[in-house]
Amino acid sequence: MEKLRLKVQILSAVLLNLGIYQWHGICFPVLNCYSCPISVFSCPIGIIGQFTGLGLISLTAVGGIALGGLIAGRFLCGWVCPFGLVQELLYKIPYVKFSIPRWTRFVKYGVFAGLVVAVPYFFSTESPLYFCRLCPVATIESAVPWALWQGTTNAVHLALRLGILLAIVVMVMGHRRFFCKVICPLGACLSVFNRLAAIFPGRDSSCIECTICNQVCPMESSPGKRSSGVFEHTPEECIGCLECQKKCPTKAIRIWG
Amino acid sequence: MMIRKAFWAVLLVLSVAMIVYGGFFRKFLVYDNLEKFDQLKNVGIKIKIPGYQQEGKEFKAQSEWFSEPEMVNAMTFVGIRRYKDGRLISNYPDLRMLRGRRPCPS
Repeated sequence: MEKLRLKVQILSAVLLNLGIYQWHGICFPVLNCYSCPISVFSCPIGIIGQFTGLGLISLTAVGGIALGGLIAGRFLCGWVCPFGLVQELLYKIPYVKFSIPRWTRFVKYGVFAGLVVAVPYFFSTESPLYFCRLCPVATIESAVPWALWQGTTNAVHLALRLGILLAIVVMVMGHRRFFCKVICPLGACLSVFNRLAAIFPGRDSSCIECTICNQVCPMESSPGKRSSGVFEHTPEECIGCLECQKKCPTKAIRIWG
Repeated sequence: MMIRKAFWAVLLVLSVAMIVYGGFFRKFLVYDNLEKFDQLKNVGIKIKIPGYQQEGKEFKAQSEWFSEPEMVNAMTFVGIRRYKDGRLISNYPDLRMLRGRRPCPS
């Protein structure tokens, strides 16, 4: 299952950045910057921020997140998101591994409310605090390539972006899926729909409460403290990676919720 | 369980309706940014506006309806802003310059 997931992640990263077509009028609910010249679809977080800056609500972006969330929830984070793939590869690098406090998962809701909605609404999308101006995905996919290609007029801001990217890379190397858990505003939006999603794991009566699912879960902040996986205790955090299903000794975990 | 499924179905229909309405039927009226055009013309900068020189028409203040996907494309390169009276106006001299562009860096 892990190899299949890796293949799907690589395939989706390629398909979402194929560069042949640009359908930026269509939102696809993964964090993939549409300022990138080879991106195919637009990022709903970017669209929400841009529309909010004009005092509008983007129905296609909100509807796209809702539709994606109701069908797949954060399964999209685990299987489709290109930055999720980057994080998983970074975590494989030998480095000091650490856990983070459980409350940090609430930070991403603040990031969405503050940097994606409030900052563009009350200031503008030109504000350096606007999420897209700081987003590590935009830095990798857009800011750095464009700066290399055409140069930059704001070296200070580019340095700030690179600093944030570096900090996130270091955190991701030490804590699996750090960005998804703590920062990602799209993860915050999708998590609202996660428990309702058609694709969502659950456990049946053959569970022996061995806590293995909890120990292998990449989205569990403090492994080993719960009797069952994150999909049951904090369903909004489950990214549907199905590592719990793979390790379950009694095969008690099913994929369809 | 039935209530949950019904709730899920209602939300699904609503989200599809939002996408369909937003993608195909919702329109925004955007105006020219004439101040900028005049400023640039006064300092002697000529601007090539698609469809303007070719047809040789007199430049007039105009507005056009943009669909939501077109707005997405236009806003990617900070092409639209609010005027002081609340109208949506082009950041470029002529709003026709907003159409058919590729995105620029954030």
